Amino acid sequence: MSPTPLHLLWLLFAPLALGLLAWVRPPRHSGLVLFVAMPLPLVALWLLLGLDDGPMAGQLALGPLTLHWRLDGLAALLWLLTQLLLLASALYAAGYVRTTTLGQRAYAWLWPLMGGLALGLGLIWIAADLLLLYAGLELMGLCAVGMMLLPGNAEALTAGLRYLLFALVGSLTWLLGIALLLGAWGRLDLAGMAGLASVAQPDPVTQIAVALLASGLLLKGAIFPLHSWLAPVHGSAWTPVSAIHGALVVKASFFILLLLWRALLPEAIAGAWALGLLGSLAVLWGGIQAWRAVGLKQLVAWSTVGQLGYLMLAFPLLAGTSAAVALMAWQATWLQLAGHALAKAAMFMAAGNLLLSTGAHRLEGLTGTSRRLPLSLMTFGLAAVTLMGLPPSAGFTAKWLWLQASLASGQWLWVVVLALGSLLSAIYVFRVLRCSFVEDAPEQAFRSLPLGMELIALVLALAAIGLGLAAGWPLSFLAPVGVP
Amino acid sequence: MSTMSALLPLATLASSLLTAAVIFMLPEQAVRTRTALNLAAALIKLVLVIWMARGLVAGEVYAVEFAVVEGLSFVLRVDALGLTFAGLSSLLWLFTTIYAIGYLEDSPNRRRFFGFFSLCVASTLGISLAGNLFTLLIFYELLTLSTYPLVAHRGTPQALAAATVYLRYTLSAGLVLMIGMVALQVLAGDLRFGQREFLAALGPEARPWLIGLFWLLTLGFGVKAALVPLHGWLPRAMVAPAPVSALLHAVAVVKAGAFGIVRLVYDVYGIAFSASLGVLDGLVVIASVTIVYGSLRALAQQELKPRLAYSTVSQVSYIVLGIGLFGPLGTIAALAHLLHQGLMKVTLFFCAGNYAEELGIHRIDELDGVGRRMPLSSLAFTIGALGMIGMPPVVGFISKWMLGMGAMQAEMPWVIAVLVASTLLNAAYFLPILNRLWFRPGPAHGIGTWPAERAPSRLETSVWLLLPALATALLSLLAGMLAGLPFSPLQWATRVVEQTYLMP
Amino acid sequence: MTIAPAAVSAAAWVLVSLLLFLAGFCLLHRNLWRACQGFVAFALLMSLAWLVLGSPWLALAEALLGALLTGGTLLWTLRGRGALPRLAPVDETPRRARLSAPLRWLLILSWLGLSGVALVMLLGLDALSPPTSTSTLLTATGVLIMGLGLWAFSAQRHLLRRLLAFNLLGSGVFLLLAGVAAPVPVSMIAHLEPAPIAEVRALIFIGLVVALLGSVLGAALLLQLHAQAGQVTLTPMAPRHPGR
Repeated sequence: MSPTPLHLLWLLFAPLALGLLAWVRPPRHSGLVLFVAMPLPLVALWLLLGLDDGPMAGQLALGPLTLHWRLDGLAALLWLLTQLLLLASALYAAGYVRTTTLGQRAYAWLWPLMGGLALGLGLIWIAADLLLLYAGLELMGLCAVGMMLLPGNAEALTAGLRYLLFALVGSLTWLLGIALLLGAWGRLDLAGMAGLASVAQPDPVTQIAVALLASGLLLKGAIFPLHSWLAPVHGSAWTPVSAIHGALVVKASFFILLLLWRALLPEAIAGAWALGLLGSLAVLWGGIQAWRAVGLKQLVAWSTVGQLGYLMLAFPLLAGTSAAVALMAWQATWLQLAGHALAKAAMFMAAGNLLLSTGAHRLEGLTGTSRRLPLSLMTFGLAAVTLMGLPPSAGFTAKWLWLQASLASGQWLWVVVLALGSLLSAIYVFRVLRCSFVEDAPEQAFRSLPLGMELIALVLALAAIGLGLAAGWPLSFLAPVGVP
Repeated sequence: MSTMSALLPLATLASSLLTAAVIFMLPEQAVRTRTALNLAAALIKLVLVIWMARGLVAGEVYAVEFAVVEGLSFVLRVDALGLTFAGLSSLLWLFTTIYAIGYLEDSPNRRRFFGFFSLCVASTLGISLAGNLFTLLIFYELLTLSTYPLVAHRGTPQALAAATVYLRYTLSAGLVLMIGMVALQVLAGDLRFGQREFLAALGPEARPWLIGLFWLLTLGFGVKAALVPLHGWLPRAMVAPAPVSALLHAVAVVKAGAFGIVRLVYDVYGIAFSASLGVLDGLVVIASVTIVYGSLRALAQQELKPRLAYSTVSQVSYIVLGIGLFGPLGTIAALAHLLHQGLMKVTLFFCAGNYAEELGIHRIDELDGVGRRMPLSSLAFTIGALGMIGMPPVVGFISKWMLGMGAMQAEMPWVIAVLVASTLLNAAYFLPILNRLWFRPGPAHGIGTWPAERAPSRLETSVWLLLPALATALLSLLAGMLAGLPFSPLQWATRVVEQTYLMP
Repeated sequence: MTIAPAAVSAAAWVLVSLLLFLAGFCLLHRNLWRACQGFVAFALLMSLAWLVLGSPWLALAEALLGALLTGGTLLWTLRGRGALPRLAPVDETPRRARLSAPLRWLLILSWLGLSGVALVMLLGLDALSPPTSTSTLLTATGVLIMGLGLWAFSAQRHLLRRLLAFNLLGSGVFLLLAGVAAPVPVSMIAHLEPAPIAEVRALIFIGLVVALLGSVLGAALLLQLHAQAGQVTLTPMAPRHPGR
């Protein structure tokens, strides 16, 4: 049996159905969640493995409306990653609710929002026209805002409101960009537009449209300098929500941006460099802010800003470079994205565990954790290995490829950025680890945590590490520098 | 190729990696299980390494490799040079493990300590078996990460500060290494160790690049090898527990740096090509400066462990000096000293640790008359110190002799002056210690008291602490006296040179 | 339903000036109650505009989602809900200092400038002369409304007013979207495919739903925030980069 569009439809809507079910009866046991939700990543894996004969693509006609979709190796990989991380986060949430006092209604709302998020992300991965992308992006954005607001305290509310306003304006920017594209090209499907773009000279309208689309996406993706909403929103959010958000939601915007860029302006070198420079600033600024951060979760959130900056290096390294360089940059980008997603989720969970157990929100409160919470601390450290780009993690292999691509294409600037970024991340990571070694700290009341919560994070962190050496397998599914 | 050939290197690596994983999973209180596991793993690893050594002599090939991404492979490959280092580290790991078990008795956080300890040795092994620069870098950085918790182990402000300095040096160096290795890969592709002709064939326009990259990579390796002026982390890291110092100085870290330079010169660039690029002379100069500077600084230290630390700075550069001397004798001297310095230095650190543990002695002027209270430890210390000075029949003599011969062969007679100066300085900072140990009256003769004496035991100190020191002292003596026998460090180094470098 | 162009003109001009007037009224009036009522009227006029542009379904959606639900939610928020304390009916918060944020102005102007340039390129230079067709007229109105909305969104602090501004901004973008795609565009690249009207409507429809959900969520949050912290703005002290 090979995958059919119906399977895709099932994988899109099953998480939402499960989410609604869980809304009615919120689960309190990880085992139940695992049992019910396990098929989702398995189906995603099966879809990935079923792509041997090449990507699937098709159209769906709803009356006069035609929707385009396609499922290639990249989309299937990202979908698998999404399902895995959502499952991990759901498992974590079931443990989280037992160790903290969450509002019952708020906890129930977590589940349909998570289902909606899964649907939105799924739509984004498989969308092949701007309409579906728009729908997916908005669904994901609203669900993400909703999840961030669940704690319901004033801090979360202001942070969430700011996020909401940013996201709404971002979506209007994006819509304006689509309007202009529609005016210029008269169509919305990416393949068609890419086909036209490959023969026509890039016209100013398209450039303006992509600039608008890009700024909308940068806003939603928290990419420098439009990142200011990110750190506050993570400071107050629930740990499983932060984990998904840092791992997946901000990545989706980047994915769309890269997709559009490759389709519409594959040769726009100046714009690509501008994005690369923005990314470089993000790396530095995010690193410096994480260095200065007072709270553990803020530190992790700022590190997301920095790590997203690395991804932006893909633009200059893909635009107008030789095929070999582009291939390395292409592989490095997705490897970094996947590695960072796994590691960041693990790191948020480990940080959440540390905070939950010590009750401290500042870094200084972590003293003595190496004796009391070795597993969570270890997880934090392992996740940090990926973020610092140290071997043998996905971050390391990605960094190696990026360095190689930069040197081979003569774009020396990125070497400097990568080096500085690595050093900065080492500095802020070891700020945390250092605290945990202090022995003469006052004894605190440590709360014990369910082993499951620590193990989920550990598994994710180990996956990020393992991906570094086993990168060949997932990368074999990527089409060579695909134009969608 | 049989499956055995792939399995053995992996098994050797796994013997420490799995131990680390299991130790992290064991509860803190499981002392006996942990001890048994540590010792068993150390023994198994030693046996596996010896097995591979015998196989290698018999002409077997041990190699594993797989592609991480296209054009970038993870390669483990056993060769004579790698096995030299692997043998050293597994032998000394056994002794250091025994020592650490005794040293850390009843102290907190032993699970963390032994977990990272195993990880550290696994990385060292990985470094020695790595078959290309990418794999070498993986384990090299892993070594940095796994030694950080060991240096910071005590959690005191000094320990944390030292660990931070250590990280600053080593992580920056790792980054420099990475950039250099990537650049080399861009120039020449994924080079395996031993494919020396690739770089030489690149043509004259690549030469400036190659020279630049050589120095970049040497800069990266030089931090761990503690070449002046990159040595700043080493004396500070002395705050770590004694077994960690032994590990840093003799078994793993500085050796990894020196080994990296060995690989770079012999297996990546090739000794002949390096000589033609003119980079070897630079190495000799750097090594000479480091040797003299380290000795001078050692002379100025008033505490025992910092003096030993600066002595390491100086002694490790003998290896680099040997590499820089173009010719088989220089190479033999470098490789033999890699082993010899390990044996002697580990002995010295064990003894220093014993003095600190048993009597609370940290300063040199507190050592008066210790020879009477702790005769066996002091005997071991004496052997190590005489070896460092280069007194026959301890192995240090052989190193210096071979270095001198190498210098003559390379037509650099001024190096002999450096050696003589260094020997005099070695004597100047070790002989006063020996004098105090044996000939000055102290608390053992009823004058004054020890700083902090432990309750007396049946022997002069705990068996766990005493035996490793005696064993390594004996080995450094035997390796010197029986240098002519097969499988002695000198013979093994000669074999490496004969088989790998000069007769291809 | 095709209406003779000359006949529309006058009606269209009236419609457009009313739209602009209501947009300004709704954005500038400090009495929130009045402003929200102004918004409902604006949304109803928008619905009329969709009718004029020939999409009755969008007109219906606008009337339902925009006027009834969004407007209703905002009014309901003002009336107070259950035990939550009521918002003050008049916005007392000071406007942000006019010259304090050149960056903000830069963003607004570049947004408007970019879309203006792009529009002129799409519709040809005669877009600059007095508009000749209803759709061009509405497109130009869209740009003006967008400008008003952007200005209000960035200058005002009261969250309810910012939500209103966002809604108007959205309406401006919708008008522009419809205007650009609805007639056969005179674009740079000659293509003879019919403009995808259905897709445009779907985009606008999704946009309307998002605006509704955003407004509902924002209004509910505003009430909660007001109840918990007594504030109706994002930051009581208004630092530039709050809450690091």
